[in-house]
Amino acid sequence: MESLVTNLLNGLSWGMLLFLISVGLTTIFGVLGILNFAHGSFFMLGAYLCMQVMHVVPSFWIGILIGPLAVALLGIVIEKLLLRKVYGRDITFQLLLTFAILLVLDDAVRIIWGPGYHVVDAPKILAGTIPLFAHSYPVYRIFLVIIGPLIGIALWSFFHFTRWGKIIRAAAVNREMAEGVGIRVPLLFTAVFAFGTWLAAFGGALAAPHQSVAPSMGESIIIESFIVVVIGGMGSFPGAFAGALLLGLLESFGTVFAGRAQMALPYILLALVLLIRPRGFFGREA
Amino acid sequence: MRNKLLAVILIFSMVGFLGISPTWAAKPVKLGFTYIMSGPFATYGQFAKKGALMAVDEINKAGGILGHPVEAYFEDSTGKPDVALRAIRKLVYQQKVDCLIGLDSSGVAKSVVPSIPQMKTPLIITHAATPDVTGSVCNRYTFRVSLNLAQNVKTAARLAAQTKAKTWTTIGPDYAFGHQSWEYFQKYLKEIKPDTAFISKDQVAFPPFKTSDFSAYITKVMQSKPDGVLVSLWGGNLINFIRQGSEMGFFNGDFEVLITLGAATEVLSALEDKMPEGLWVGSRYWFLANQSALNKTFVKNYYNRYYEYPSYNAHGSYGAIYSYKKAAEKAGKIDKEAIIKALEGLKVDLPVGTIYIRPEDHQAVTDACWGKTAADPDYPIRILKPMKIFKGVDITPAVNQTGCTMK
Repeated sequence: MESLVTNLLNGLSWGMLLFLISVGLTTIFGVLGILNFAHGSFFMLGAYLCMQVMHVVPSFWIGILIGPLAVALLGIVIEKLLLRKVYGRDITFQLLLTFAILLVLDDAVRIIWGPGYHVVDAPKILAGTIPLFAHSYPVYRIFLVIIGPLIGIALWSFFHFTRWGKIIRAAAVNREMAEGVGIRVPLLFTAVFAFGTWLAAFGGALAAPHQSVAPSMGESIIIESFIVVVIGGMGSFPGAFAGALLLGLLESFGTVFAGRAQMALPYILLALVLLIRPRGFFGREA
Repeated sequence: MRNKLLAVILIFSMVGFLGISPTWAAKPVKLGFTYIMSGPFATYGQFAKKGALMAVDEINKAGGILGHPVEAYFEDSTGKPDVALRAIRKLVYQQKVDCLIGLDSSGVAKSVVPSIPQMKTPLIITHAATPDVTGSVCNRYTFRVSLNLAQNVKTAARLAAQTKAKTWTTIGPDYAFGHQSWEYFQKYLKEIKPDTAFISKDQVAFPPFKTSDFSAYITKVMQSKPDGVLVSLWGGNLINFIRQGSEMGFFNGDFEVLITLGAATEVLSALEDKMPEGLWVGSRYWFLANQSALNKTFVKNYYNRYYEYPSYNAHGSYGAIYSYKKAAEKAGKIDKEAIIKALEGLKVDLPVGTIYIRPEDHQAVTDACWGKTAADPDYPIRILKPMKIFKGVDITPAVNQTGCTMK
């Protein structure tokens, strides 16, 4: 029983971090049609900027508030100056461009903060552990398990019940029609990209007390987020949630029960989904 | 007016140029370094570069090697064997280096080493720890001045034998280094204490390199209820593992923990007081292990130059350059073949202590240091107290056990 609960919490907390980064990735794809390789770098920047803010004001809450916002501003600049040029063009242009952005951001981080590892403290209220059966479990991980679904619900409500959410979904389905009814689509695209960037950076800031902040920390997570997005369905919001949960649980239980085969499990799942339901669990018909 | 200004600038810049360019007459000794300079493990390349640059500056200030100034060329291996081999070829054929130094990853080292004899240039390995490069794939061009995995793990086995632990398991990176560490640990511990039990293959934990959440592996190891755990994770992986492990009660004292590379300064500096106390940790070089004047000066100069304590990789590149210098002085020339002969059986005083490069397999016999992590008000990081030094001769496997047949 104890191991079941521990593994469940391990899987859920990791899944929730994956969800935060995947949901931004999938939203940007769904609305802008861009496959953003640099998304992991925004995740990394979120962690670094949160840490940087905390050097000035030693509060995690202020760090997680300001850090991701700064990254979102950078997102606006990148969208206006660079991404705009490749909308609707061949996918190779997008891949090359976003990959170039990834390389530049990774190097910039190394130049500014150096190549070393950094540790960010969890806020006092979330530090420490709570007893869980015979052992203890970190409070911060439980916080992740709780905050993930809350953000999920907030996002879902935004897309389904607010005017802006509906406009974004409309623009995603048919850009020309949206423009025809007077929606300023370029502005909307900028806003959506900034929002997706913010989500990635927010995920990075949340991950900072949980893993070491280091260059290229985005590169490892981006692959898993791509798996999540493909499994869940490209551009699908509930898909990102389900995919992230599934992958998180698969990794925690797989590690314990599947031994070394665990490494292959996410890819087997990916292959199965692509074979049986190529558009993903919640993907729209192409 | 403008022309005058231009002339003045020109003159000044020429004076400056003459001022900084060394007035050497002899042709330079070229050393070519290949380390991981980009990607998640770029830290290691940066440390190596810091150590190398300091040694080069010191040597040039003191008159060079046999009167030749030293020039350093750095290339990025990116941690990939094919890239590393290309970098090495570039150094040998384009830069025409006299000696190659470097290599961080065991995987890279093992696949690059067999190609070195074609280039007829000595290679001094400073970091990559696989026993194979001075074992099954050894050759007369390849040397290693740092502690290898077998020596490090043999020390771990000796420490393990002194504990009450009867059943051991491991958590290590899922590639050659992690698996070989476990394999050698079992072998050496069995030799000392034959009744030791080891947790079965499917219950030990080998998280993939890219893992950043270790909770599932931590849970897995704790559930297997071992008496002792050998940890061979390193770098960022080790930092994440220790933080997440402390929160989940891994270091509460339910079992012994031996961390083979836990005394790496970059790990200790990142963790600071979050490194639990009382854990056995090892390293290839520990800056407080040796009380010699040489080591004290090295640590002081390094600290004054970079504002941090030297890591083992900084010491590795630093030591390799001084080993090269000593070999050149022994040979009396910088001819490649003469250097190779001089490196064989060479004894060099380095900050780590005196190392002896065995002529039979080209592995350095060098001391190993382990210690228990402890807080100390004089240092921002955990230091080792008590500290145990293992003599190189006691922990280096005999030549006939290395599998090396020198070609």
